[in-house]
Amino acid sequence: MLKDITLGQFFPGKSILHRLDPRMKIVLSILYIVVIFLCKNLAAFAFITLFTAAMVVLSGISLRTILKGIKPLIFILAFTAIYNLFFYGGDRLLVKLGFIEIYYEGAMYAVAMVVRIVCLLVGSSVLLTYTTSPIMLTDGLERLLSPLSKLKLPVHEFSMMMTIALRFIPTLIEETDKIMNAQKARGSDFSSGSLVRRAKALIPILIPLFISSFRRAGDLAVAMECRCYRGGNGRTKMTQLHLSFRDFAMLFVILLCGAAVLLINRFVPGFSL
Amino acid sequence: MNKLELKNVSYTYSAGTPFCKKALDSVSLSFEKGQIIGLIGHTGCGKSTLVQLLNGLLTPDEGAVLLDGQDINRKGGDLRSVRFRVGLVFQYPEYQLFEETVYADIAYGPKNMGLSKEETDRRVRETVQFVGLSEDCLSMSPFDLSGGQKRRAAVAGIMAMEPEVLVLDEPAAGLDPIGREEILGGIFSYQRKKKSTVIIVSHSMEDMARYSDRLVVMNRGRVLMQGSCREVFSRPERLTEIGLDIPQITRFMLALRKRGIDVRTDIFTVEEAKDEIIRVSGGRHRA
Ligand SMILES: Nc1ncnc2c1ncn2[C@@H]1O[C@H](COP(=O)(O)OP(=O)(O)OP(=O)(O)O)[C@@H](O)[C@H]1O
Ligand SMILES: [Mg+2]
Repeated sequence: MLKDITLGQFFPGKSILHRLDPRMKIVLSILYIVVIFLCKNLAAFAFITLFTAAMVVLSGISLRTILKGIKPLIFILAFTAIYNLFFYGGDRLLVKLGFIEIYYEGAMYAVAMVVRIVCLLVGSSVLLTYTTSPIMLTDGLERLLSPLSKLKLPVHEFSMMMTIALRFIPTLIEETDKIMNAQKARGSDFSSGSLVRRAKALIPILIPLFISSFRRAGDLAVAMECRCYRGGNGRTKMTQLHLSFRDFAMLFVILLCGAAVLLINRFVPGFSL
Repeated sequence: MNKLELKNVSYTYSAGTPFCKKALDSVSLSFEKGQIIGLIGHTGCGKSTLVQLLNGLLTPDEGAVLLDGQDINRKGGDLRSVRFRVGLVFQYPEYQLFEETVYADIAYGPKNMGLSKEETDRRVRETVQFVGLSEDCLSMSPFDLSGGQKRRAAVAGIMAMEPEVLVLDEPAAGLDPIGREEILGGIFSYQRKKKSTVIIVSHSMEDMARYSDRLVVMNRGRVLMQGSCREVFSRPERLTEIGLDIPQITRFMLALRKRGIDVRTDIFTVEEAKDEIIRVSGGRHRA
């Protein structure tokens, strides 16, 4: 069912990753992504995989949830792997089947790419979305970007829009489910027939969904105005963010990890991108 | 013969996640053909979950839902045809409207069943009579209707499929008293005419006392009591214990009893109460 999509969902908890300052988490995620792209050889990829696994353990999020999150991406992963396997040239031929040639470099590259995508997704979702509530996330983003408001960029409005969008994703999913069920009860059939018929079968879902989204947006605007919302000017926050020791400790760990990757790239021999 | 049965049905939402929530716990029920059954219970006790199991929108974790003795979720079974036989009107069904006209929206279900144009037309016109929409509404856009009219159109959309079992999840919630009366009365006369089974979920004890032949009381995902209205309302303490109420008039009779007037207390409609009061007062104040 639609509700089973776990990517981008928040799982409340009390782990150290949950308690980090959201601003620091955003910075950490960016650094983490940079580190992933620094990896050049297999040893470095193995290292970053271990590092990602350690973060998963630290977050206390079950492996099943993580795997469920990757499941929708199986297709993309398989495509990436196969594409690189077959079309990446090199000089060490491994297999030759008719016109298909698989090279050692291609195989390594395929592995590296898949590892990179998986680490990227799992790591950033464990660091950010799984362990940070959407409110904290946008709050952190707003603070982080607040210097830009000096340049007259609408940082507050931007983050408010994000908060609202994030807030309504689960609502929309729930609503889609509900409407689908109501139409199924009237005999809609979404899973058989030609492509055109299936596309047509979506109309009874999309129209009510659009209508209720517009209505909800209007209601929300009115409700916000009734509470005198008038943008970010002079607005104070109920929760104040504080950087603490653990935030800097994690920053140190990530930097250390980056340094380690650079060293491995340089000193461990083997296949290199 | 039993038409629709639940056998030891359990259902858990989001099983295996931190949000898991057991909504139904080993529920066994059977719904007799041709009865109106009222399903009552506190908010969150699992009524909406139960009704969605009845037409296979949810699949039980344990146990089975049997229609004419056959498990509706069996392998190779046709759920779509089950949904034509067990029609479900959701809680706040207004959001399911989507067609350009009310007519087309009500005809959506019958059309999916593959009925002929004439039959569909007959059913649409018949059901709007039941739910009390005027024929002029048929050519309007469903989005131009009032809230109460939308509700009627949505109910009509399921009724027009003429299911053997019609299930309604709080059909009258949020309507004004006249609206409630009309919609419930419409369902009642539909049932008497088609002799189908009707299951109504409601929070209003008064409505349930008036219309249903049998009551099922649920509490925290289990069936607490079931029986005729008389049997259920004769034990008000069990109902109040779980945060439910008894019809006002029954409370009134209980209060009279407390003051030493020897009236029967298994009374739940105003009509009956009138007769009873006239009886104990010796028939002196005949109206
Ligand atoms: N989609 C869902 N995901 C998770 N939990 C749910 C979901 N729907 C319902 N629940 C939970 O299951 C329980 C039963 O819900 P249900 O909707 O069946 O109650 P109900 O008896 O219909 O209540 P009401 O009278 O308020 O409509 C509730 O505790 C609710 O929190
Ligand atoms: Mg409900």
